[in-house]
Amino acid sequence: MMAWSTAAPAISAAFLASLVEVVEAFTIVLAVATLRGWRPAALGTAAGLGVLAGIVLLLGPLLDRVPISSLQLAIGILLLLFGMGWLRKASLRAAGVIPLHDEEAIFAAEAAELSEEARRRQRNLGWAAGITVLKAVLLEGLEVVFIVIAVGAGRGLLVPAGLGALAACAVVLAAGAIIHRPLARVPENTLKFGVGVMLSAFGVFWTGEGLGIAWPGQDLALLLFAALFLGAGLLASTFARKLAVEFA
Amino acid sequence: MMTMLKELAAELIGMFVAEKRLTIAVLVIVAVAGSLVDFAGLNPLVGGAVLLFGCLSLLIESVCRAARVGAS
Repeated sequence: MMAWSTAAPAISAAFLASLVEVVEAFTIVLAVATLRGWRPAALGTAAGLGVLAGIVLLLGPLLDRVPISSLQLAIGILLLLFGMGWLRKASLRAAGVIPLHDEEAIFAAEAAELSEEARRRQRNLGWAAGITVLKAVLLEGLEVVFIVIAVGAGRGLLVPAGLGALAACAVVLAAGAIIHRPLARVPENTLKFGVGVMLSAFGVFWTGEGLGIAWPGQDLALLLFAALFLGAGLLASTFARKLAVEFA
Repeated sequence: MMTMLKELAAELIGMFVAEKRLTIAVLVIVAVAGSLVDFAGLNPLVGGAVLLFGCLSLLIESVCRAARVGAS
């Protein structure tokens, strides 16, 4: 029986985190498609997704062989490192200490790089464009795969978490197909802040369970952890804004 | 191909090591919490509290330190 107090955070964390990653990959795919055509963009995307599927098929069955407490501990620690890294960066961006992620600027930079490549090499441009897309899909996709495994594996929620990630892909592709421009209006830092909060909460939860801690309220403890990480992130951001002004 | 593999490896490491000091500190907190649960004979929830509040404190400290360094 699926516990919704665990499933809902797992699905929403997978959906929101995937949304951020897919938007980033989509920007590169769109830049390549605009400059070099849809063929290398589509082939690069297909190759990237193929490699990702291979990694999942290879590693997926191995997860069943790992004892659950060791799996929870390993995944919990990785989630803590990953989630707190996101939350730290999102807090610094919210405080204005580091600049916000700008999809329009990334699109322009990628387009400039491809044009420079075109001037230098004059041939095999389709190949170079395809490799650029493959790399982007693979790099962003690896993060999606990790997040899906991390939030899903500890409680047998791999399928719902995977569906959350697929839904994010569908949303981005649909939005991209309609507007044909980088998705610059996605509130990426807010999403990253929220995802960082959820992943950090999952990280503490799984790490604790892996260490043999029985959290009071069981799965509901996740909600308390998320509230505490949200509060800490907002507090850190407020302090950081004041410190940045003070030390400027 | 080698360049791409190197970039992939760097990206994978970068996923979990956003900042070296924060990464090491989180690992130390997990080790301390684990030791409290396994060896100190205390209520496991003490280890849980150390893990939770240790991570929250580390987050605030890491953001504030970055703000001081970034602004100066």
